[in-house]
Amino acid sequence: MTAWSSWQRSCIRNYSAEERNMSDDKVRRVSGSEDAERLGNARKKRALYIMALLALLVTVSFISILTGTIGPIGPGKPEKISFGDAFDALLGHGGSDSDYLVAIFWEIRIPRVILGGLIGASLACAGAAMQAVFRNPMADPFIIGVSSGAALGAASAGLIGFTVVVGDFTAPMFAFFTALVTVFVVYRMGLVRGKMYVETLLLSGVAVAAFLGALVSFLIYFAREDYHELIPWLLGALTDAQWSYVAIIAIPAIVGSFIIFLYGRELNALLLGEETAHNLGANPESLKKLMLGVAALMTAGAVAFAGIIGFVGLIVPHMMRLLFGADHRMLVPASTLFGASFLIFADSLARTVVPGEELPVGIITALCGGPFFLYLLRRSRTGGGSA
Amino acid sequence: MKLEVRNLSFSFGETKVLKDITFEVCEGESIGLMGPNGSGKTTLLRCLTRYLPAEAKALLVDMKPLHTMTDRELARTFAVVPQSTATDFPFTAYDVVMMGRIPHMSGRMGGESRKDEEMVRSAFERTGSWHLAARHFSELSGGERQRVIIARALAQEPKALLLDEPTVYLDISGQFEMMDLIRRLNKEEGITIIAVLHDINMAARYSDRIALLSEGRLEAIGPPEEVLTQETIQSVYGINVAVRRDPFSHAVYVMPSVRRAVASRHGTRVHILCGGGTGGPVMKVLAEQGYAVSAGVVNILDSDYENANDLRVPVVAEVPFSQISQESHAENMRMIDECAAVIVSPFPVGPGNFRNLEAAKEALARGMRVLAIRPTNSPEIDFVGGKANALIKELISHGAIEVKNADEIIHHLSPVRV
Repeated sequence: MTAWSSWQRSCIRNYSAEERNMSDDKVRRVSGSEDAERLGNARKKRALYIMALLALLVTVSFISILTGTIGPIGPGKPEKISFGDAFDALLGHGGSDSDYLVAIFWEIRIPRVILGGLIGASLACAGAAMQAVFRNPMADPFIIGVSSGAALGAASAGLIGFTVVVGDFTAPMFAFFTALVTVFVVYRMGLVRGKMYVETLLLSGVAVAAFLGALVSFLIYFAREDYHELIPWLLGALTDAQWSYVAIIAIPAIVGSFIIFLYGRELNALLLGEETAHNLGANPESLKKLMLGVAALMTAGAVAFAGIIGFVGLIVPHMMRLLFGADHRMLVPASTLFGASFLIFADSLARTVVPGEELPVGIITALCGGPFFLYLLRRSRTGGGSA
Repeated sequence: MKLEVRNLSFSFGETKVLKDITFEVCEGESIGLMGPNGSGKTTLLRCLTRYLPAEAKALLVDMKPLHTMTDRELARTFAVVPQSTATDFPFTAYDVVMMGRIPHMSGRMGGESRKDEEMVRSAFERTGSWHLAARHFSELSGGERQRVIIARALAQEPKALLLDEPTVYLDISGQFEMMDLIRRLNKEEGITIIAVLHDINMAARYSDRIALLSEGRLEAIGPPEEVLTQETIQSVYGINVAVRRDPFSHAVYVMPSVRRAVASRHGTRVHILCGGGTGGPVMKVLAEQGYAVSAGVVNILDSDYENANDLRVPVVAEVPFSQISQESHAENMRMIDECAAVIVSPFPVGPGNFRNLEAAKEALARGMRVLAIRPTNSPEIDFVGGKANALIKELISHGAIEVKNADEIIHHLSPVRV
């Protein structure tokens, strides 16, 4: 009797528990599927975000062109000019007394803004690719020795004094080639029986960078007074911008970021592990090699013409990931566009923030990027906002 | 799909990991790949996915050699579910399942097509995980993640699902949920399954056939009841097991019995009077301590009869559901005579086996050591109206030693050891 009734009771209890679970499940399913419904519009949303970032880039570029020691926006010293005069100069006409304004805008300011954009785009896009290849959010474009290699090239070029041979291109060419040689050496170190091991590659990068850093310090120590000329380069600066630089850097920047964008899907798979990437039909060996090669060329180009601008390649992909998620088909174009905007913005500050002085832009990128990044990180970790 | 594995061998450098493996998997089958650690299960799986390069012509899918397929073609043939998947990057579950469409997307410039979106949605729904789609993959529980990974595998529209110990990091309910899901996909959708499984009982329950690997060789392949025998498991895993049938599913059910090595076999003989499964622990403890154990009288089909057979203990058996016959009782007494001690396990006593208690009384009368394990109050063991309890009391008052459990017996028996 007692056994019977307790059995009955337990049946009733189980039944109601089951029912409760089912209704819980239903509730969760409904609210969950609304979220999921929104995912269906991912493509449309992606296009919208890209348009917004493009608009931001155009706006920032335009403001940056107008900003400077001579311009409608800026400290007003040595000369504050009106917006009207500035637009006249930009359109290439105006009085003969404003020829120098046309020259300032068209020979100095505009190539500098475009160069900054291309370099920011290269660094941020290469950074996103490196983080995927290394499956490590702390990776940046310099991780395989590009910057230390380029620094050695630039320092020795400056020291040996080859400036006369090919004019303005000596130091950049030196830096470019030593950067690529360094990358190749690091790459060979990470190669075991034809397979690329990213952990080995990472450690080789660190070791080679330390070794080359010591060589650069050695050169700097003996360069003594010439050392000052190297400082802006080591901290990263766009001071020497000119149209010929723009023409050269545009090739790796545009072609490179386009190639990386095309492999977005495969990069996604790679982030879940090389075996998973293989199982999803994305050949991880050739993917890693291609991405590393393209990213190295983009970074070497950027470093050769503007020095070692830190933080852009590390932080911009992170910011974009916090805002848009990890899908590389969004992340790569977003990083590329925002990297360009970010460096142009930072360079505008570098040109104007200290009156009478031009700061190396690398200082500004670190000063702005660091705190902003920390803010985003905190916000996403504490669960607030949409990030 | 038909998969043929023909004389597959594989080496890491000098070490041969797979040796001449040959078998076939038919459309819609569910194969459990088993074997001890290092027997080559995962290597075999990786040869199938071409993550490791197998010899040409060793592997054929629908008569087509695996090495002639493109990477994308292969990813549309096999989808893999690994032990676990982790990432530091903020992918949503939807992103992860969409990755399953990579081998189907052709243009690099184009995004997901309507078909891709429908396949992803259906994969989520078939695994009951659509409500997880918008969540971050890294925030999901182990079981939820495996569900999403199976959804990704389904989104690949593969001919077969390859699973590498898919339940190893899940708790018990997660394990059964996962295996039920896999079985449903196999039975209802006809998806071919090849799964590396560690848990013998899980494999027996969920596989049509089991392929048992040992040191890189295919030791046996066939239905669970043919492959999972006491002898095979002893030779492959080196442990003694008892093989039973699961009472609910009638699937083969394997459980470990005596420890691998008996410390010392001194041969002191002990006879156990038992029944109703009460003798099992006693037989196990004594056998492990090196005693030569015998038992009686139990009916065939009694669980103690199975216990005795599993432990290779000689047993006096009676036909099922019958009273202990005069012959059986005599045989029992003959065995008792050869022993140093008699143990009375707390078996349920009815009219049919009352003679076992009488055997204990007789042994005591002949001056033998008798140990009686004290029955607990519940469940009641006396089904002969108090006669059994009275007789046990009598045994104790006449010098039988009362002990609490099987382990205590060892303590009392040790003086008998020579």
